[in-house]
This record gives sequence, structure tokens and C-alpha cells, in this order.
Amino acid sequence: MKGCKRNPFSAFFFILTLFSNLLLAQTNSSQIDFFSPQNRLKFGDYLFREQDYLRAINEYQEYLKIANNDTARFKFAFALAEMGRETEALDNYKGLFFSSPLNEGARLEFYKINFQQGDFVRFRDLCTEKIYLPENSDLIIQKLNRFSYLLDDNLLPDSAAFVDVFDQGEKEQVLNFYMRKKFPPYKSPLTAAVLSAIIPGAGKIYTGNYGDGITAFLLTGILSFLAYDNFKADHDFRGWLFTGLAVMFYSGNVYGSVASTQIYNVGIKFHFENEVKIYLNEKKYFLNKYDFLNR
Amino acid sequence: MKNGVLFFLIGFNICYAQTDWVKWNAVEISYELPSIEIRNFKIDNGNVGSTLLTGAVKTYHVLISDIDGDNCPFFPSCSEFFIQSVKSTNVLAGILMFADRFTRDTNFFKNRAQYPFHSSGKLYDPAVNYTLKFNNINHIPYDQIVKD
Amino acid sequence: MKKYLIYIVVLSSYVLAQDDLKRQFDYADKLHSNSLFYEAITEYKRLQFFDEGSTYSYQTNYRMGLCYKAGAKLDDAVKYFSLAEKFARTDEESFDTKTQVIRVNILRKTTGRALKLLDDLESDSSFTSKIDEINYWRGWAYMFADDWENAALAFGKINPSHELKRKCENVLNEKYSITFAKIISYILPGAGQFYMGNYFSGLLSLGWNVLCGFLTVDSILDDRIFDGLTLGSLLWLRFYRGNIQNAEKFAIQKNFEIANETLRYLQNEYVGLKP
Repeated sequence: MKGCKRNPFSAFFFILTLFSNLLLAQTNSSQIDFFSPQNRLKFGDYLFREQDYLRAINEYQEYLKIANNDTARFKFAFALAEMGRETEALDNYKGLFFSSPLNEGARLEFYKINFQQGDFVRFRDLCTEKIYLPENSDLIIQKLNRFSYLLDDNLLPDSAAFVDVFDQGEKEQVLNFYMRKKFPPYKSPLTAAVLSAIIPGAGKIYTGNYGDGITAFLLTGILSFLAYDNFKADHDFRGWLFTGLAVMFYSGNVYGSVASTQIYNVGIKFHFENEVKIYLNEKKYFLNKYDFLNR
Repeated sequence: MKNGVLFFLIGFNICYAQTDWVKWNAVEISYELPSIEIRNFKIDNGNVGSTLLTGAVKTYHVLISDIDGDNCPFFPSCSEFFIQSVKSTNVLAGILMFADRFTRDTNFFKNRAQYPFHSSGKLYDPAVNYTLKFNNINHIPYDQIVKD
Repeated sequence: MKKYLIYIVVLSSYVLAQDDLKRQFDYADKLHSNSLFYEAITEYKRLQFFDEGSTYSYQTNYRMGLCYKAGAKLDDAVKYFSLAEKFARTDEESFDTKTQVIRVNILRKTTGRALKLLDDLESDSSFTSKIDEINYWRGWAYMFADDWENAALAFGKINPSHELKRKCENVLNEKYSITFAKIISYILPGAGQFYMGNYFSGLLSLGWNVLCGFLTVDSILDDRIFDGLTLGSLLWLRFYRGNIQNAEKFAIQKNFEIANETLRYLQNEYVGLKP
């Protein structure tokens, strides 16, 4: 052993390592416990990054039974929220509200989930009563508070008070949303009904359904002409038949114009709310990005 | 050879996002070709009115509608629309809704943006949108496909 | 000497780690064989995560593909079989994964894709000895696409008296001709429906066409041209067109029933290899 003569300590070290390895092999048949808490956490983090949330939740759940880790609990709650299990998510975020370095983020997520649940009156009550309000993110909560008015049918606050909490770059868009909410470009069902009563099909054209409007006009017109023509030719039965049909389609056209206006207005509302939600998603609900979620 | 240990620990971790967000079990995939939908001839025996109504419409289906081919571009068909209209409102409103539906059916130049597609390939136009109850109207973007 | 000691230390660690991976693999396999596919996938993923040497990459990806296939999650199955193919160590493994991808495409009825992959496999010189298996899956792809003629040809290439070839030929013989049904409906309204055995529908169709035809001709002969045109276009043409549509519809329906009878047999009773 030439090397050993040169350096007896390194030889001793290698022999010790070899024997301890063999000893471990005798006493502990498993070198890697895949189900140890630490390995569960590592695997859970990997699944979380892959957005395989249901499996990640399971791993975090097992880990949190034994260990206490705020980051793991936050990710656990985040995964629950992403999967729509909001009540469980809220409960787990609450576990981080006090004496945790992640309490600010947890409280913000708590408010975000409450906003997403869609009960905006309740959301605004939470904001007003400052329940679990994050200490340093009051501005974010106020922004969400303002946006809640855009998504329900309650009375809007004053425009100046509405936009003042937003940044300069956001104000223009927010004001645009505000004005569209306050003065939606709805059409009047009464106007549509009156127009169709005067000229069959005009009410449908008023709501942009040009083809339906022209068809209603032609159909009512042709049936009325057929009624007149048959009466003129002394074909009374056919005359009354076509009269009945003309009256039915005339009334149907008036009714249909009112329905068409309502459908138009629902479409306006739908697209507006969709735009607001897209804007909020793009802004990530004004929340900060959490770097630790990617680790 | 140098005193070094070469560790060949090259880990390939090709990661793909998994979306198994619901636990699932084994499912047997049927080999059969999809069968053509057969009309339901069941008559609603809820009350005298609905029995008469559905009875009359089913008779129309057997004697006329099933013989003159598939002409309605909408789902539900005009006769089914009439049944739904009368059931959700009343006979008079149902007749007016039917007249309006017939007019829209006759329109050759349908506004494509007005109706989404149903999975049957027809334009989706349910009676619930025409009951004049604002909160019951369900707006579906025209580029979505509605499934039963 | 030091060099050899280092190798022993490293090798022993490696061998022990491989035992743990094997244990995990066996555990995942046990879940798989007990049809706990979702749980099996979790354990295969766990193995993959800790298998830094990618020793089990082929097996885990392949088995995950099988799990997803069992759960009818066919898009995911294709994904994992394709991944397994990247880690295939032998031609046999490569062929196996490629045929699994083809089988999944057959199941999800993306026939065009399945046939393209089969053509690629056939033109691959590494798999010239597998031509029978390729034709076998080609036949299945055609059966699932309701193309029994090409399916019979494909099975015939394996063996002229192949069981599945005879099944395909039976289906072809029993099927109704849609073209014939339509042509006789053009000539005599209701005839196509009679050919299909839908006598009530055929009689009604004939009746309506005769009635509307009579009313139309009668109106025209009475110099009521407008009435005649209206009756002709709104009623007679409607019922005439409906008669042809129904002949076609009933023929397709009946042919589907014939095909489905064979497909049901293949699914439930056939003992050979299935997709």
C-alpha cells in the first residue's frame, strides 16, 4: 500500500468510511426513505411546481402531520385554492395569520379568495370591518374593494373616490370600467317594442339583428297580403286563416323584439364583467409574486 | 489515472404539467361507433295540460316531423322549443315565443354571433332566454360549444 | 489502493440506492396490478423524482402510459408512451412503445394519426420482422374507423383465413348500401325506407308525397299557380327531400348496428390482442 505509507490518515479515513458503509448496510436495509417527512416535502414541492396539485396536497398533508413549515402550509393552501377547495384553503391560510413570516401573503390570499367567491357584499364587509386585514397591504385591499363594485349591482361610489387608490398607469383603464358600469350601453326594451309595433321587425334591427328584423317584416307583410288577397277573392276561410297567422307573427315579432333587447343587454353585461375579470387576472389581483412558490 | 471519483449522476427530469386534479378510476372505453340519437316519444303525464301538449307534439313528430327530414337549424327543435316555452311560461306566451322562433328559423341570413353551437352541430337556442326574465338569460359566447 | 477503496465505497452506495429504487418500483407495480392507477402514477412519479440516474425512466414512463390508458385519459397516455420511447434501450422496447401509441390512437379514434404511425413503422428498416403485427394494428385501426374493406385487406396480409378477416367480410356482406337506398328513394318516395325495413315510415313518406304532389298538380291545373308553387316548394319538396334524408339516415343507423355487433364481440368475447 504505497499510498498508505505516504498518507496514513487518508488510508485510515477510507477504511473507516468503507466499514461504516458496510455496517449501515447490515443495520439499516434502506438508505433512502422516500416517505420520510423531508423527502415528502421535496416531492411535494416538485409536484407543486408541475401543478399536479392534488398529489402535492397529499404530500404536504402527510408532511404537515409531523412537521411544521410555514412555506409548506402556504403552498398547501395555495394548491387547495387553485383546485377550487376554497374553504379548506381559507382555513389553512388562517393558520399563518399570527406569528408567521408569511402572514402578510396569507392574509392577502385570504382576501383574494373571498373576492373570487363572488359574494361582493360580504367581501366589502370584511374590508370595512378590517377582519384579518394585512397590515402593509391596505392599498391592495382597497383596489379589490373598488373592483367589487364593478362586478355586482350595488350603487357605485363617487368616481373620484373610486379611482384615487389606483396607480397613475391604472387610472385610465379603471375610470373606463367605472364609466361603462355607471352608464352601460343598454338598449331599451320599451323602445324595441314600440318600434316593432309600428314597423314589424324594426325592434330587432334596433338591437342589431338585421336578418331577423327583415324576415319578421317580410313574413308579417306576406301573411297580411295573403289575408287581404283572400278576403278580396271571397275566400273567407283562407282570409281568416292568414289573418290569424299574421296577427300571431306580428305579436310574436313585438314579443321577440323585447326578448332580443334583453338578450342584447345581458350580452353587454357579460362582456363587461369578462373584461374586468381578465384585467384582474392580468394584474394578478394586484398581489405580489411569491418567489418561494417556484422553489 | 487521477485520484478522483467520477460520479455518473445525470438526472433527466423531463417535467410536464400534470392536471390530475380529481382522483379517477379505471374506465372501459367502448369500441362501439356512436349511435344516432333516437327521438324520445315519452309523453309528460304531469297534468292534463302537459299531457295534451306533449301528446300533440309527439303525434306531430311521428306523423310529420320524422317524415319531412331534419330541417331545423336550431337545438332544441321548434316543436321542443314550443313545449319548453309553454311549460316555463303559459300557453299565450308560449305561442308568441314560438312565432318569434319560427321567424328566426325562417331567416336565411342568421347572425352567427347570436348563437353558440350545440354539440349536435346545430345552433343552441333554448327557450329559457326568451321568457322575459332577465336573470334567467344565460349568455354563452358564440365560439363555445354547448354540450347536454 | 486508495483508488480501489474509493470505487468500493461509491459502488456499495450505488448498489444500496438501487435496492431502494427497486423496492419503490415494485411497490408502484403492485398498485398498478391492483388497478389503483392514480396511486400507481403517484408512486412512479416519486420513483422518477428520486431516480437521479434515470435507471427506471423507461419503465416508469411506460407504466404511467398504461395507467392513463386504463383510466381512458388517452392524451396523457400518448404523452407518457412518447416519453418512454425516448428512454427505450432496445429496438424491442422502442417498438413496444410505438405500438402502444398507435393503440391509444386507435382507441381515441384518431385513425389518420394511427395509420400514419403504422406507415412510419413499416418503412422503418429496424422493424421489418414485425410486419404482421403492424398489419394487425392497421386492421384494428380500420375497424374502429368503420372501414371494414380495408380492415379485411390488412388482416388478409397476415393470413388469408385470419379470423378477423372473416369477421370484417361478414360485416361487409350484411351492411346495407346507402347509395342504393338513396337512388330508389329518388325514384319512388318511401322505397328506400322499405328496403331498410322501416315500413311505417316508408308508407307515411309515400302518402305525404302522393298527397302533396296531387295538391300541387291540382292547383296548377286549376290555374292557381301561386298556390301550386307554394305547395310544391313548402310541402312537396320538403317531404320528398325528407324521404331521401330518412333513407340515408336509416341506412347509416342500420349499418352502425351491424358494425357495433361485431365491435361488441371484439370487445367482450374476442380473445386475441386488443388495443
